[in-house]
Amino acid sequence: MSWITVTIIVFIYLFFILFLGSWAGRGRESSVVEYIAASRNLGFFVMYFLMGGAIFSAFAYLGGPGWAYSKGAASFYILGYCALGLVPWWLWGPRALRAGKKFHYVTQAQLFTDRFQSKALSVIIAIVSILAFIQYITLQMKGSAYVFEVASGGRIPFWAGALIAYVVVVIYVFYGGVRGVAWTNVFQGAFMITIAWILGLYFAFKLYGGPTDMFRQIMEAKPTHLLVGPGTKMSFAAFSSALLVSVLGFAMWPHLFMKAYTAKSERVLKQTIVMYPTFAIFLVPVLFIGFAGIMQVTPDVLGAPDRILPWMFIHMKFPAIIVGLVLAAALAAAMSTQDTITHAAGSIFAQDLVEPLKKEKHTDKEATMWIRISVVGFGAVSYLVAIFGGQTLVSLLLGAYGSIVQLLPLAVTTFFWPRATKAGAICGLLVGVLYNFGIVLHIIPKFWGIHAGIQGLVLNFIVLIIVSLLTKPMNREHVRKFVTL
Amino acid sequence: MSTNQENDGYGISVFKPGTPPGVKTRGIIFFIIFCLIILIQAFYWLFANSVKPFVLGMPFGMFFIVLFIAIEFIALLVVYFAEAKDVAEGGGS
Repeated sequence: MSWITVTIIVFIYLFFILFLGSWAGRGRESSVVEYIAASRNLGFFVMYFLMGGAIFSAFAYLGGPGWAYSKGAASFYILGYCALGLVPWWLWGPRALRAGKKFHYVTQAQLFTDRFQSKALSVIIAIVSILAFIQYITLQMKGSAYVFEVASGGRIPFWAGALIAYVVVVIYVFYGGVRGVAWTNVFQGAFMITIAWILGLYFAFKLYGGPTDMFRQIMEAKPTHLLVGPGTKMSFAAFSSALLVSVLGFAMWPHLFMKAYTAKSERVLKQTIVMYPTFAIFLVPVLFIGFAGIMQVTPDVLGAPDRILPWMFIHMKFPAIIVGLVLAAALAAAMSTQDTITHAAGSIFAQDLVEPLKKEKHTDKEATMWIRISVVGFGAVSYLVAIFGGQTLVSLLLGAYGSIVQLLPLAVTTFFWPRATKAGAICGLLVGVLYNFGIVLHIIPKFWGIHAGIQGLVLNFIVLIIVSLLTKPMNREHVRKFVTL
Repeated sequence: MSTNQENDGYGISVFKPGTPPGVKTRGIIFFIIFCLIILIQAFYWLFANSVKPFVLGMPFGMFFIVLFIAIEFIALLVVYFAEAKDVAEGGGS
């Protein structure tokens, strides 16, 4: 009967989050800038968890241990990029914040569209972002569905598990807007970190007598597991280029980039960047969980590497309450990413795709309603994709997912190179995105194991520079606005 | 990386016009430091692709990555407080 206790705990967690998220947005006015950017008024504490919750995704919580278990040292790359991801943001985060205040932007595409005076750019960015978001959400849904499956001992099927958690997310994003996302992330973040540390250290000590002995045993059994390079699971070039592309692309994710508009001040934004590496330290014990699994179960028995975390504690014969809490924490990881993405996707669809294509402008209240409707619409579509998505669709989404880093040249030129033109920006972006799709769809062969994103990025920059220099410069006063922020 | 004073307003513009030279120098130094930290993390296998010695319970490669996360954190703190001091003195950046 212990599965009932476990399931009850998971549901208590869900109700609490639902209440917290909906409560967070109460009594606020119904305007676009409030719904998307919390009236540009979030303080450090909330900002820190808002950005952190996005990275503590199902990928970090289930995928991280999975990587440590199956790929070994390759998983160190997760630590590296989590720590460094926000560092490039120091260059354009504060500038984006100032631009947002001055010219009233709430999304990433609005900034680039205004700089390059191109609605086409807005549409391209919106489409790529939304496709990438669907892929991102689908990954999280698999994570949360898996939690329910384990909690109920297989009694809750995949479609229901994915649905239950996501409905909760959509409801509080609908009501709470970015404040709902932020406050639930505070709770979810703190909860996950606590559980992760306890669990990671517990496994290492209980099963092996400490991390050192654990790694020594792994080294003796599998000498190459804790190394990268030839003969291991990840080549040198793959490790380095994956880390670089993740660092460069991290803050280009629209849902993170647009959070620059939520910060109360530059100070708050910079404090968030300074404190961000702490999240990478929090991830260390999460990897321990995966490493601890190596000597316990063989890959054939386990099935998929992502199952390592649930497998580990189910076979440890914990009391039902503990199992419930751990599963709730894994669910928190998936949901704290789903909410940010869903919120951003709804905002982008309504603001960057619908608004520019409409002749007459909506009033602020109508526009907010449209974002809310888009949130629900996006939720429904990504759920259907997660349940019914076929192979072609998956590669289409993967292509978009890898294309996000291609927005980097737009940010760099917006803030630092006034000579860049509309034609240059559009051509560069298209080349980068299409190149990436070419690789995902196997039209272009892989080159040396270097990450496709880096290759696309180089081409993107080259095309942007050449085309810009060949076309007429844009209005000087207009482009200077963005470099003198 | 040039700051191009003489161009027609279209050149690469890294700093806001009127940024004091001291702030510019500091900006460039920290830019280089962070580039180095990122590159060292990305190419950690050049320095620490080994399991032994174990430090703080971690294999050496993992410890090396964690060490550079700590260094990065300290560097960020330093640059943050240096900038905060400017703002307090009315310098601004």
